[in-house]
Amino acid sequence: MSEIRLDHVSFRYGPKEILSDFSLTLPGSGVTVLRGPSGCGKTTLLRLLAGLEYPASGRIAGVSPRETAFLFQENRLLPWRTVEQHLTDVLPRDRRREAEGWLALTELTGEERSYPAALSGGMERRLALARCLALGGTLYLLDEPFAGVDPQRAARIMEGLKRLSVPVLLTSHESNILSLAHRVVDLEGPPLRLLCERKEP
Amino acid sequence: MEWRKTGKKLIAALLPPAFWLGAWQLCAFLVDLHVRGRGNELLLPYPATVLSALVRLAGTPAFWGTVLATLGRILAGMVLGTALGGLLAALTFLSPWADRLLSPAIRVIQATPVVSFILLILLWTGRDRVPVVISALMVLPVIWGNLSRGLGETDPQLLEMARAYRFSAFQTVKLIYLPSLRPYFLSAVTTAMGLAWKSGVAAEVLCLPRPSVGTQIYNAKLYLEVPDLFAWTVVVVALSLVLERLLRALLRSRKGGANHE
Repeated sequence: MSEIRLDHVSFRYGPKEILSDFSLTLPGSGVTVLRGPSGCGKTTLLRLLAGLEYPASGRIAGVSPRETAFLFQENRLLPWRTVEQHLTDVLPRDRRREAEGWLALTELTGEERSYPAALSGGMERRLALARCLALGGTLYLLDEPFAGVDPQRAARIMEGLKRLSVPVLLTSHESNILSLAHRVVDLEGPPLRLLCERKEP
Repeated sequence: MEWRKTGKKLIAALLPPAFWLGAWQLCAFLVDLHVRGRGNELLLPYPATVLSALVRLAGTPAFWGTVLATLGRILAGMVLGTALGGLLAALTFLSPWADRLLSPAIRVIQATPVVSFILLILLWTGRDRVPVVISALMVLPVIWGNLSRGLGETDPQLLEMARAYRFSAFQTVKLIYLPSLRPYFLSAVTTAMGLAWKSGVAAEVLCLPRPSVGTQIYNAKLYLEVPDLFAWTVVVVALSLVLERLLRALLRSRKGGANHE
């Protein structure tokens, strides 16, 4: 997949400027971690790429929002659907069998028939991640996928993400996650600013 | 230990009705004392008198036909009002113009005295249909109001998720709107059930369809058979409470089996 480019993108929430003439080029493959302090604009950046927000000016190239799979910072699970149903709800009928694989990757095998209320916080997060992965597309945008997930497990899931054929863009603060990424992009803000970019640390 | 617990539960369940029956008995006794045995039955009969009236009525074959006829009318009104209320809630939610147009009309229905409607509809339609229409008219605004509120309060985060995760319109309705509406619907339906009985029987009293509980209540009043009036009232209250319980249980049990695939 070609690289993802943001050219002079501006975006504001009310009077607050989140992105101001922001430009960034991201690779179209591998796992890239965005790091930066809370509230610096990482989430807004991901939402712009997912097409959930539109830039006031500037241009985003190399992404088609309708083909991205976005993991919200909140789990946004459905209390009345089982673990397995969460995945089959986003999978087309002929791809329902893939659910098993995504549950294995997120280490939720055996919980297929549980409802979210019966899951721990970390498990709920992994279910939200599994659903997002099952949705699929040409780009994964994961906002804090490992919040509340224990570090060893997060590292194993990270290895799984690196094996995917689809590029992954995720935000994280955990140092062990950063050390596993193909690339780390350091950000600061708001308004969002690029500090540095490291490849294959 | 175990029988003690059940004993406690039994007392908790029986004591309140026993208290109110006692209060009724005492009041009837005081009335009896005041009129010095010249027929307290006309003003406030004893519970035992009402019970015997109830037993006497229940022994006649006509009683059950009467109860069934009224039950049928109320349920028909309930179903009609719920269906229309649900339909209008969906319509006013989807279209701002439908909302502007219909919301005031529904509020007017809600504020109109029920007797005005009863007399008007009696003029427009047959006496047999009035209780059904009246029940439906009383039920409709309650269902509409609750469902509209529920629709408006559906979690926007879940709706955004549905959009981002490319849910079809059918999926969004089935997986997000309907389950979110369940508690609103439950409370609306139980409130509406009480209203349907009250207004439906009032319509029967004024329109006298045959057979009907309302006609019996009217006759009891006409011939000053106050124990019968009480007995029929007890029947209506009991039916209303039983149906409310049934409905609640029905809607709850469907939640238990949430795996509707």
